[in-house]
Amino acid sequence: MSAAPKIVPEVNPLFDKKLLQAFVDGALKTLATIAQTEAKVGKPHIETRLSEKCEIAGMVGMVAPPLKGTLLISFTKESIFQIMENMLGEKHTEISNEISDAVGELTNMIYGTAKTALNQMGYNFEMAIPTVIRGEFTLSKSTKGATLVIPFELKNNSAFHIAITVQT
Amino acid sequence: MFPNDIKFLVVDDFATMRKIIKKVLNELGYTNIEESDDGKNALPILQAAVSNGQPFGFIISDWNMPGMTGIDLLKACKADANLKNLPFMLVTAESEQKHILEAAKAGVSDYVVKPFNAATLKAKMERIYQRHSTPPAAKAS
Repeated sequence: MSAAPKIVPEVNPLFDKKLLQAFVDGALKTLATIAQTEAKVGKPHIETRLSEKCEIAGMVGMVAPPLKGTLLISFTKESIFQIMENMLGEKHTEISNEISDAVGELTNMIYGTAKTALNQMGYNFEMAIPTVIRGEFTLSKSTKGATLVIPFELKNNSAFHIAITVQT
Repeated sequence: MFPNDIKFLVVDDFATMRKIIKKVLNELGYTNIEESDDGKNALPILQAAVSNGQPFGFIISDWNMPGMTGIDLLKACKADANLKNLPFMLVTAESEQKHILEAAKAGVSDYVVKPFNAATLKAKMERIYQRHSTPPAAKAS
């Protein structure tokens, strides 16, 4: 028998500032260390109806029983091309298999870094394999609950976003 | 430190990470680098290199790979008389104690957590070099 659904605004871990900080730190550390790229963090916000346009994104299921969630890291072409140039010295002008591979690896590293910090705080997230989505598409969420969106901006004014959806 | 002509095998299912490791090794002056995209494919490459008289001198392998994981590749190397003394570094996004212990128990030379930079990899390699170049008698004393 399952417990009654919890009320999102009262108990959802998206309101745990430490969770937010772990993903911000994970993204900043990953980009600075592996790609010598500085990013500026924008104002995080909660969206109850996520509808986001992306060009390429890495997605990973986050499981920390009893929590279930999704981490989505979406890049504009300009942002991922800049990161690729800084990280590997490669100039890209279109979304290719190499870009998809890089987005998968960046998602893996950002999640891995955040997961380690969160598990030290008492969460129990497990490692998972990222999926990469490419092409012009709009993401919409079918589940109840909220999504925490953290915007980032690179020096060339391009943007990427981290979106965390957690169900309790 | 390891000589500049030492032969590396870089094993990772993500081409991006193989490129990053190669770039970092190049920055450290190492250019004799071969790649494999899975532990399952890496093992015959390592064994063939021994048979051809041109063995590898260092393995850098990812942990999470679909066909054969890095930890299983490490165990397979330790079970092979020709490969058991080969310096073996695991690369992973996992930095939790249970994983570090598992890798140590399997006989890993060292462990690097992603993301990392050239300075971190160099420091780890120096430690491995010291450990592998110290005779067992000296270690015991």
